[in-house]
Amino acid sequence: MTILATITLDNLCMQYGSNGSRYTALSDVNLTINEGNFISLIGPSGCGKSTIIDIVSGLKTPTTGSVLIDQEPVSGPGTDRGTVFQDYSLFPWMTAFENICFAIEHTGGSHTRAEIEKQADEYLNLVGLIKFRNAYPNTLSGGMRQRVSIARMFSMNPKVFLMDEPFGALDSLNRIYMQDLLLNLWSEGERHKTVLFVTHDVDEALLLSDKIAVMTPSPGRIKEVIDVPFLRPRCRKSLGATAEYLALKSHLLSVLYCEMMGEIAQQERNFRGLA
Amino acid sequence: MTEKIPRTAITVYLLLAVALAVQVLVPGSPRQAASDASAFFGVLVLLAVLFTAGLVGCKKNTRAVTDIFIVIAVILLLWEVLLGKLSLLDPLLFPGPAQVFQVFVSDWQLMLYGAVGSLGIMVIGYGLALALAIPLGLYIGWRRRLFDVAYPIAKAVSPIPPTVYLPYAIVLLPTFASASVFLIFIGAFWPILVGTIYGVFAVDHRIINSARTLGLSDYQMVRRILLPGAMPSIFSGSMISLIMAFISITVAEMIAATSGLGWYIEYNHQFANYDKVIAGMILIGLVVIAVMFLFDRIQQYCLRWQQAE
Repeated sequence: MTILATITLDNLCMQYGSNGSRYTALSDVNLTINEGNFISLIGPSGCGKSTIIDIVSGLKTPTTGSVLIDQEPVSGPGTDRGTVFQDYSLFPWMTAFENICFAIEHTGGSHTRAEIEKQADEYLNLVGLIKFRNAYPNTLSGGMRQRVSIARMFSMNPKVFLMDEPFGALDSLNRIYMQDLLLNLWSEGERHKTVLFVTHDVDEALLLSDKIAVMTPSPGRIKEVIDVPFLRPRCRKSLGATAEYLALKSHLLSVLYCEMMGEIAQQERNFRGLA
Repeated sequence: MTEKIPRTAITVYLLLAVALAVQVLVPGSPRQAASDASAFFGVLVLLAVLFTAGLVGCKKNTRAVTDIFIVIAVILLLWEVLLGKLSLLDPLLFPGPAQVFQVFVSDWQLMLYGAVGSLGIMVIGYGLALALAIPLGLYIGWRRRLFDVAYPIAKAVSPIPPTVYLPYAIVLLPTFASASVFLIFIGAFWPILVGTIYGVFAVDHRIINSARTLGLSDYQMVRRILLPGAMPSIFSGSMISLIMAFISITVAEMIAATSGLGWYIEYNHQFANYDKVIAGMILIGLVVIAVMFLFDRIQQYCLRWQQAE
């Protein structure tokens, strides 16, 4: 059994711009993700969800505060975190197979070429794309590209998984398929890792997560963290019908709805200010 | 399964046959210098063979291949009838095809030598430009501060016609070959540099972020991400450079060389051998077509990932 990692967001603040026009993207974000937990960040667009992913992955440095993975502060990008973005995770000039090999090569372990290739094929097989191993990303559908991205993330065997709206650009049927695929892959032994997942889809968050952190915009902060108590393995059909699920969903929606109305009112006020 | 050959394909053979018949049966104009027409026959037969090969080898595009060959055959036929047989224009300035193609037989050594010499100089100059401009462009594109300085300068300098450097090149460099190499290099360098810088800059930042999450070294970042990402733009810059290089070498040879394709035209022009001038023009055209074809193939291979099915 591998040792699972924890992620701690410690007083994260993120400000853009110079003194004159300061924009606060994140303010006092605190969150602890326990070993092997799946946590979703949910909130309206512009609430800083993606900024948190960027900070945890090391692409951005917070203005103040820090991110700890297993109590080690994050100081830059690294292969101990596997990241999947909404799109553009893959390099268009490499085939699906080459993309995965390229990622494995950079994980730092000492692999022979044959080992890398075997592993890449194994993961392509897991996401059902072994037939497309030599296809370039441009020739694949959006859903297939995300399957390759997820295969790449798993193949890197990182400590934690970071996913920034990985299914946001997919149609709803494809999204359902991908959610089930992700759950299936993630549930099993070696591939079970600590996950930070960004979404704006309430059902997606409820199906996948152990906890849901609801965020509010301007400045981005975590408003509340909700436990999702359903037992795993979860079944989409039976889950959606339980009273508990519906209660949680309606609670989440009402919180998000309030936020959104507030945000729209704010935007209107700003607009009048301009007019 | 045999692909249906378009009916117009027969037109090509017909046109070529008519051109042949006209040459053989119609007596030549007395004003056209009497010449051996066997080279022209050869060209007509060669075209027929090439066309057949094109039909067989390029099944997807039989229509386009046919149309191109119809144009070529019509031009040859009109040339033969109007200039070769009827001598509608001054035969000294506008010789018929039989006379022009005969030059390829009599002067082939000189022409081959010229073509090889010109191409050799081009390969060196162009190769140097590629070897220097691409790495430099990658580095400049990657370093924002260098970019802010270098890109405006490169953009301002790149449209200057390289031939303006010719006087200095000839004075300062010891041999004509080295001066030409320099000229081609300087002409090809800027468009490739601008293309590379622009290409690096145009790589989607989301792809660069994805690459950064893999913890790449600087070298890996440049070699595996920026270079392929910038490749489409590098190719468009290189294409402009290639055209520039052809213009530069031809002009340089016309002015100062003692061999080469440009020199061949200029030299024969001085002796009023216009059949050889036209033959030289055709030869340059053929060389350019061949080089462009090669360039196209390399580009298609390198950018194969861009073509969505």
